[in-house]
Amino acid sequence: MAETLTVEVMFGGGAELLFNKVKRKEIALPPLKTFLPDSQNQNWTLKELLIWLKDNLLVEREELFLKDDSVRPGILVLINEEDWELHGQLNYELKENDKIMFISTLHGG
Amino acid sequence: MDRVSVLETEISELRRILKEKENELQELKSLISDQQSSKELNNHSQPISDASKSSVDACLPKWAIERYSRQILLSDIGVEGQVKICSAKVLIVGAGGLGCPAAMYLAGAGIGEIGIVDYDAVDLTNVHRQLLHHESNENTSKAFSAAESLRCINSKIKITPYNVQLDSKNAQQIASAYDLVLDCSDNVPTRYLLNDLCVMLKIPLISGSALKMEGQLTIYGYRRQDHHQETYIGPCYRCVFPTPPPPAAVGSCSAHGVAGPVPGTVGTLQALEAIKYVIGRTERHLLVGRMLLFDGEDATFRAVKLRPRRPACVACGDRGGGRLIDYEQFCNAPAKEKDLDLEVLPPENRVSANELNVMMNNEERGGRHLVVDVRNEQEYAMCHIQGSVNYPVENLHRNLEELIEKTKEFDGVVFVCRRGNDSQVVAKKVLDVTDKERWSKVKDLVGGLHSWSKNVDPDFPVY
Repeated sequence: MAETLTVEVMFGGGAELLFNKVKRKEIALPPLKTFLPDSQNQNWTLKELLIWLKDNLLVEREELFLKDDSVRPGILVLINEEDWELHGQLNYELKENDKIMFISTLHGG
Repeated sequence: MDRVSVLETEISELRRILKEKENELQELKSLISDQQSSKELNNHSQPISDASKSSVDACLPKWAIERYSRQILLSDIGVEGQVKICSAKVLIVGAGGLGCPAAMYLAGAGIGEIGIVDYDAVDLTNVHRQLLHHESNENTSKAFSAAESLRCINSKIKITPYNVQLDSKNAQQIASAYDLVLDCSDNVPTRYLLNDLCVMLKIPLISGSALKMEGQLTIYGYRRQDHHQETYIGPCYRCVFPTPPPPAAVGSCSAHGVAGPVPGTVGTLQALEAIKYVIGRTERHLLVGRMLLFDGEDATFRAVKLRPRRPACVACGDRGGGRLIDYEQFCNAPAKEKDLDLEVLPPENRVSANELNVMMNNEERGGRHLVVDVRNEQEYAMCHIQGSVNYPVENLHRNLEELIEKTKEFDGVVFVCRRGNDSQVVAKKVLDVTDKERWSKVKDLVGGLHSWSKNVDPDFPVY
């Protein structure tokens, strides 16, 4: 069996509504070159994970999740419970068992 | 029945008189206690900001020791902490689901001055979670209603209601009288306004939010005081969210619902962080640089680490801040939890509630119409037009084709929802795949079920 990379993705704050109400899911990513043969990267980064999520889990209104090549304003991305800004954002290289959270910020009160 | 309505009228009149007298009493009491407590407390304590000289031998009057004894017993608070609490001034923006519990605990704890800002009036749909407001306060100012309840909790503190919409013009004047601001608001423009305002005034912002079953909480713009210098520790709201979200991605309690204890939990924690800040806890203990995510559905709390302050931030950065802008324009959204009035469909594809009623009662002449309710299942279960079918807008990515097939069995289709926005969106999706000759058969109900209740069926609930 080809090497797969297992990571957990979590959605909250309403972002789960774009993913068929799934709040957490363990996903097995195939070798990057099988998913994206043209990719510049050797290993999975957040950038490719976003594309994978769009193709595989996102069920509606892509514009409420993505903007340009990144996540839209107002969604906090957390890598193992830390802001992705602390880890290189899109360039973060995924590791086995990483927990990646996409939390839409709330404004209600 | 006559006797019932006579009694109801008499009781409401008596309540009004009682309220007047209570208010008069409170005003007198707070005037007296203001004078007393400022004498008693200020004789023995230094202002909070003068931390270096904070008095060790601070003591409290008898009433205060007795009243606040349960928290003074805590080594975290003690007499010194209570003195700081009694001289603290906290502004709460929003007297809703977050502001009510936050204000209740702060008033209970004896925060010396509490300001509470809200432009809105009490609606009966607020009362399940906004516990400072009672049935009898319906349609009265939330700021005044909250202040009145808070005075019943603690007559020894000063409470100032501000029955205004906070904006770039009045915010500075209101907030400059306070040491700390709690963001208990319900909209994006106010959140950016409060951030820039607090950065400008160099006071921290304890920001809470809640929707449905989830809540979020953190402290923005916290500055550490050491050696006569103040440095920012942790980010401000703009460091984390430099760009406002698209309005379509912003949910509201009135549109999406909220479980009362969820903002209750977050507002209560805002009060706790406020008390900790007031008694001098630092970033080591406060929610600075961390955001607490509360998921009421799974009963989980998670404190995640936020990015640091951005030196280039337009608010708290090295060259940032200094002025307030037009936040409604910046966010492309109103500073009220207001519902949209979309105009997606042309007028010929829209029907009024009265027209729909006629259509449903004249099938022989007008043909059979399918009424499709696109609200979610819970809303449909609460109330719906007899004979309508439910196709929630959120499921249409799965069953749009099935719906279109079903409409073909009828002479026409009318989409309905709560206010007439989603119904247009769905009608548009159906029109996009409908042959041109049948276009006039696809319609939506203008003003939604609110209009149905107003114009056709007064027994239909408005929520």
